[in-house]
Amino acid sequence: MDGDSSTTDASQLGITGEYMAGSHFVLAQAPEDEGDEGLDDHEDGNGSKDNLREQDIYLPIANVARIMKNAIPQTGKIAKDAKECVQECVSEFISFITSEASERCHQEKRKTINGEDILFAMSTLGFDMYVEPLKLYLQKFREAMKGEKGINTVTVTEGMGEELTDETFTNPLPAGIITADGQQQNVMVYTTSYQQVR
Amino acid sequence: MSGKNMEEKVEQATDRKNISLPMSRVRLIMKSSPDVSCINQDALFLTTKATELFVQHLALSSYKNGSGKETNTLSYSDLANAAEESETFQFLTDILPKKILAREYLKSLEEMEKVDDNL
Repeated sequence: MDGDSSTTDASQLGITGEYMAGSHFVLAQAPEDEGDEGLDDHEDGNGSKDNLREQDIYLPIANVARIMKNAIPQTGKIAKDAKECVQECVSEFISFITSEASERCHQEKRKTINGEDILFAMSTLGFDMYVEPLKLYLQKFREAMKGEKGINTVTVTEGMGEELTDETFTNPLPAGIITADGQQQNVMVYTTSYQQVR
Repeated sequence: MSGKNMEEKVEQATDRKNISLPMSRVRLIMKSSPDVSCINQDALFLTTKATELFVQHLALSSYKNGSGKETNTLSYSDLANAAEESETFQFLTDILPKKILAREYLKSLEEMEKVDDNL
C-alpha cells in the first residue's frame, strides 16, 4: 500500500485549542480527510510542537459531523457542542474496543491485534449488531485492495494464528508460492483470499 | 438500527473502499491504548468502519430520543441522556456527565452532609 506522508504535525491533528493546556499551541482545524491515508508506521515526532496528551487525539470534526448529519433526518440540526462531544465519544469508543481486543490478544499470547479480535471485542461489549455488516464491508474492502495491488500480489494474512494450520492449504494455490530454495521442506503459502472470520 | 438497514447501506456503497474517516488517525488512537503493539490491516479497517457505524448509531439514537421534546436539534443533553439510558452507550457516562444547575448540586451536597451528621 502506498504510504503517503502521514500526519505527525500536531497542528493538523484536529486538536482543538480548548483541550490543550496553555495558549502556545496553534489551533488549526484538520484538513478534510477522506478515505485511507495509508498505514505506514511513523513514530510521532514531537519536534517543535508541545507533547500531545494521548487522550487528546480525536478524529477530524468535519468528518464526524458529516457522518452525524447523514444519519439523522434531513431537517435535523446538530448543536456545535454535540459535534465536539461525539468527537470525544468516538475516541473513547475506539479505545474501548481496542483495549478489549488487546486483552484477548495477550491472553492468547499473540502480539498482533487482528480482525477477529476486533469483532469479538464488539460482540463482548454490546456492539454485536455491527458485526455482520462489518464482515460485509471487510469483504468489499479486501476486494478493493486486491484490485489495487495487481495480479501477483502476495499478502501475508496476519492473524490467521501464529502457526499455519492445515486449513490454510485447502485453497487453490495462487501464483505466489514461496519455497525455501527449491526444496519442499517448509512451504509457506501466502494467500490473498479472505478467510472467513470465525 | 436494523440489520436490514445495514445491508442496504452496504449495497449502496459506491466508493470502493467506502470509508470516510482517516485510518491513520484511528490507528494513532488505537496505539495510545496501553500494551498495544501491532495492529493488522483488517483490524484497522474494521475499527474505522465500526467507528462510522457508531457515530451514526449514537447520533440517530440520541436524536430520536430528543425529538420527543419537540426539538429538531441534536444537543449535548440528548447525548448525555442516551448514555445514561442505553446499555450500549453506558461506557460514555464518564465523559458525558449530565449538566446540572449549580444550586441543585449545592442542595444535594447539603443533604449529604445532613445524612453524615445523623450517623
